[in-house]
Amino acid sequence: MSTPNYRLRKKVSLGARYAALVFWFLICIVPIATLVMASLKPTALFQTIPQIFSLQGFTLENYRLAIRAGNFMFYLRNSMIISLSALVVVLVVCTPMSYGITRLASVRQKNILVFSVLSTRFLPYVVLAMPMYLFFREIGISGTLAGVIMAHLAMQMPLIVWLMLGFFSGIPIEVEESAVIDGCTPFQTFWKIALPMVLPGLNAAAILALIISYNEFLFAFFLAGRHTQPLTVGITRFVGGVDVGAQYGVVAAYGSLIIVPIVIFALVVNRYIVSGMTQGAVKG
Amino acid sequence: MSAQRFFTPWRFILPGAVLGLIILGYPIYRAIYYSMHSIRLHRLGNEVFVGIDNFTRMLSDPLFIRSIRVTVVFTLGCTILAVLFGLTIATIMSSRGIRGTRQARFFMAFFLVPFVTTQIVTAILGRLYIWQSQYGLVNFILGLFGVERVGWLINMQTALFATTVTNAWRMTPLALLIFYAALATISDELIESAEVDGASTWTTLFRIKFPMIKFHIGFVSLVILTSAFREFDVVYGLTGGGPGRSTEVMSVLVYRLGVAQANMGIANAISVIMFVIVAVMTIIAVKAGKLGAMRE
Repeated sequence: MSTPNYRLRKKVSLGARYAALVFWFLICIVPIATLVMASLKPTALFQTIPQIFSLQGFTLENYRLAIRAGNFMFYLRNSMIISLSALVVVLVVCTPMSYGITRLASVRQKNILVFSVLSTRFLPYVVLAMPMYLFFREIGISGTLAGVIMAHLAMQMPLIVWLMLGFFSGIPIEVEESAVIDGCTPFQTFWKIALPMVLPGLNAAAILALIISYNEFLFAFFLAGRHTQPLTVGITRFVGGVDVGAQYGVVAAYGSLIIVPIVIFALVVNRYIVSGMTQGAVKG
Repeated sequence: MSAQRFFTPWRFILPGAVLGLIILGYPIYRAIYYSMHSIRLHRLGNEVFVGIDNFTRMLSDPLFIRSIRVTVVFTLGCTILAVLFGLTIATIMSSRGIRGTRQARFFMAFFLVPFVTTQIVTAILGRLYIWQSQYGLVNFILGLFGVERVGWLINMQTALFATTVTNAWRMTPLALLIFYAALATISDELIESAEVDGASTWTTLFRIKFPMIKFHIGFVSLVILTSAFREFDVVYGLTGGGPGRSTEVMSVLVYRLGVAQANMGIANAISVIMFVIVAVMTIIAVKAGKLGAMRE
């Protein structure tokens, strides 16, 4: 193996690897780009792919229709109320819970709790949505925001507790023991010592929870009423029915309005999403 | 002291435990309760106890059996595709010369995009712009190579394939990210010493790197299996279960029977079966991989 030959092979290999990454980059981005480009074209005509990506016929008419006729702001408001309320409750309740579980002295109690979290973590959502649909009617909260928020709590609790368990168990117990010796109450130890140490983890969990709630469709579709539907249900009003063709552009604009903010948000807070998603699997 | 140690953590746990019982425990209990009753939506409160009738009726229903088959193909297909592509891209991303560079960070940020994209929008986008038979992106690209148009979502033979690929597109970033993080922890010295001993790139991959991350491959497979198994948004938005029920996964079947046909007893019976399947998968994974132990 001569040195120049080896170096050439390395360069070729690096080029091939970059080519593969660019190819994968296109697979991730081109579908989204297609949607956004299509939303900027007149709605009345079917568009071929070259037409969609050409700069001719640029218009913002679809966005006007999506926002006005599609009542975008109304659905956005519902989306925001649902995901932010669920987030606040989930953080306030689950963070101390995870902390408590990692500090349990009894291994048996700890195992039982960890297993309940794990077994609900993968629960099919229809298992919750079907009975909720029924007993929300019985207790008279069918179609309300409260019902949808409760469903979102059920969806996020296991995930957030699971993530935070990993972050809290990473704190060395000695740090807290010295805090207790210095006279901290259990609550002060949690609030002033443990919580600041897991703050990056808490951010990651909160961001993941927010994204999941914002994107959620199934629970809202089953449980929300006419006045409480979020964006994900709002967009389905354009799809289906015989006149879909004529509304292609508006659907694209509506879809772009939904995903562009969340994609930009995800790119900005990328670091936290990475740590949150890895924490879900990698040993803490 | 021991009473103190017992009592304090529970004060932190209790609110969450109570909330969990209300929003998770109670609905699961009701699902089991409803699954053993005959209920019609417009006659709530008049449930008739029917025991395991709903289950026996379901298990002898060819529609249900078919839905199981569709779900298995969809779930396994998504998992295999996502793990395969995730592993390939993660291996390239973590290779020397790329790992840690600015380009790598740039690529990784965009590789996450499919995962954060709203699923129902992904589905609608897939239906109107990607798999659409006349103007869709897939047929356009195939057309450049002279391939005839395929009615992806119209044909019963291809609809499940397109649905599976769409969901795999969404799940791959999860696999990619976790594999990348795991591969990055393998020390360079280890690989270099193997190379000095004459190991080729392929040997180090299959004999050292992949075996070292087998725990992560197992966990990612479990997460993707379970989340593809419960997927509703992508399938419902893309095909609604059609054409001819060729993509009717169990979640969509539950919706059709329960909400659209108002047969809540049967729908809840299927839910309960789904719950049992996931519980069994989780228990097997915990036993096999000691997943529970990793949080202690």
